[in-house]
Amino acid sequence: MSEIAVKIENLSKQFQMAGSGSLRETLAGLFSKKEKKEEFWALKNFSLEIKKGEIMGVVGKNGAGKSTLLKILSRITEPTSGKATLYGRVTSLLEVGTGFHPELTGRENIFLNGSILGMTRVEIRQKFDEIVEFSGVGKFLDTPVKHYSSGMYVRLAFAVAAHLEAEILILDEVLAVGDAEFQRKCLGKMNEIANDGRTVIFVSHNLGAVRSLCTAACLIQQGQLILTGSTDEVLQTYFNNNLGEKASFHRFINSYQNQTLTLRPTELAVVVNGEISGLMEMGDDLAFDVGFEADAPVSQIYLSVVLTSTVFGDFLHSSTHFLPTFRFPQPTQKGKVRINFGRLQLITGRFIASFWVGAAVNSVEVLTEALHFEIQEKDVWGTGKLSPRVSSMWWDTPFELLENS
Amino acid sequence: MNSTPETKLSVLVIEPSKGVFNLNFRELYAYRELLWTLTYRDLRVRYAQTVIGALWALLNPLFTLLILAFVFGVVAKVDTGQNAAGQPIPHLLYTVAGMAGWAYFASLFSEAGTSIIGAQGMVKKIYFPRLIIPLSKAATAFIDFAIVLGFMVVLMIYYGFSPTANFVFFPLFVIIAIVSGLAGGIWMSALTIRFRDFQHVTPFILRLGMYATPIAYPAAAVPEKYQILFYFNPMAGVVEGMRWSLLGGAPLHWYSYISFAAIALMLLLGLFYFKKVEKIMADIL
Repeated sequence: MSEIAVKIENLSKQFQMAGSGSLRETLAGLFSKKEKKEEFWALKNFSLEIKKGEIMGVVGKNGAGKSTLLKILSRITEPTSGKATLYGRVTSLLEVGTGFHPELTGRENIFLNGSILGMTRVEIRQKFDEIVEFSGVGKFLDTPVKHYSSGMYVRLAFAVAAHLEAEILILDEVLAVGDAEFQRKCLGKMNEIANDGRTVIFVSHNLGAVRSLCTAACLIQQGQLILTGSTDEVLQTYFNNNLGEKASFHRFINSYQNQTLTLRPTELAVVVNGEISGLMEMGDDLAFDVGFEADAPVSQIYLSVVLTSTVFGDFLHSSTHFLPTFRFPQPTQKGKVRINFGRLQLITGRFIASFWVGAAVNSVEVLTEALHFEIQEKDVWGTGKLSPRVSSMWWDTPFELLENS
Repeated sequence: MNSTPETKLSVLVIEPSKGVFNLNFRELYAYRELLWTLTYRDLRVRYAQTVIGALWALLNPLFTLLILAFVFGVVAKVDTGQNAAGQPIPHLLYTVAGMAGWAYFASLFSEAGTSIIGAQGMVKKIYFPRLIIPLSKAATAFIDFAIVLGFMVVLMIYYGFSPTANFVFFPLFVIIAIVSGLAGGIWMSALTIRFRDFQHVTPFILRLGMYATPIAYPAAAVPEKYQILFYFNPMAGVVEGMRWSLLGGAPLHWYSYISFAAIALMLLLGLFYFKKVEKIMADIL
């Protein structure tokens, strides 16, 4: 088991920022002295060893160099310096359905995608039935995929990818697709791959997936390896680092990514037991306040919130979208809405709330990871025992003896 | 897991490539199935959307043929000579024989030239030898070739012409046309990635080339002092040669070999340049 599957030594990748070399610049450059271009190291002296059979989760913020690392390991782009050695047949999956053509049928696309991913026709034929069964699009196999729903499309694409035979598998966020049922299926398939003794390199923002799938993890920051070790340890460090920068339980908003909004969020706050606070104990009441302002009085607001555990990933979604009965008693231009969860039984740890606020589902400001708060341990059971952190929530479930003899 | 016996343990080393000229034909060969698959996709998809689409494929070369035959045959009254049997070659037939090679070249050249840009979704997401993409266009261009050859057959029957013994050389000129189209296409695909300006160059070259190539007139009609310059056009020799193999008539000028040499050189340099751009392709797309 301690055999090395992937060995990365001082891998670096440099991009040149200014002037990507248009024809005019290149021609002009022939006659003038070389100017120093702005340089940017997307990856700098990155070294890592991955053991055979290990499932290595790569975490880091956007722009930290995760994608560059994957692209180099997938041979899509060349490193500027350094070396990576991969022992075994490598397949990388940076996207599902690469090369899929909308005019071709599902059957044809299976062969097309399979061979793009490096399978031989013989291999694809052998696994064809399995792929079709896994995808669940059997009935539409001879229909052009342009008539597929996006869910079917993704299922078919993932099904091909899931049946690749590779000793080393490089995966990028491909699990963030499809409906919940299919995601579960994908995670199951991933587990199967993992138990097969294959080596997997997995980049994802789905921290729940990283936690449940990976046997080890590493953290990239600004192109450099910060930490490698157990998944728990790395995820914890990642969040601690992240929180230091932008931890906030109360914020005012005055600039927007979406410039076309007719209704804008102005304020977000975590409310614990009726008061704005970033700290709560297990068993406290939790609510969020969302201040808004509209161009004209409105009687409705679109509001969605997703709660994320820094350890277990997204676990709760609530939205006005499914509650069309939530209307203001009279048209309101400026106001505040409280999202009242009541006694939400969250386990100790750090939590993040993301919001979608706007006039309608297609006109929203997305406030990803907008609020952070922390839940502290409390003897909620009255037994003096600490709660084990196995999921994001605890529940004081009644147990009952049904039969005895 | 049943792993195939030959995969004992493949070791992949990723390093910055050295500046040596390494085409890696072995890898290209290993990816041949992908080449077939992409070719199949292109063929399948080409006229998938409309019925009219397939009709356009016929109308386009037909009108080109009629215009060329009208301008050079009716208006300019270019002398097309006679075949070995002493039959005078009708202008329409002369032009269609010239167009065959050109149609193949033009199709391959323009398809291959835009091929990498068209496949950027794939290029950015998965590794394979990028050369596969322009190469896969070599087969689809045969559609355009076949259409013109179809016209050719019809006209030959109509005018009562039969193929001459020269026909044995026909495949040779087809191969030269493939190489020529690929050479140009590979150049263009790499240049277009590097400098988007070249997107506009392809149609320009093709329009110019259609007149600078002896499609509807014999190369011999070009004044002697311009002849050598004329044959620097890689397609000049191919078009003359292909017509000669189909209809007979005046043998090839030795300058044709300049054309062929130009093609070989262009392909070699094109591959070299393509390899250079391939390294940074995913970064600049």
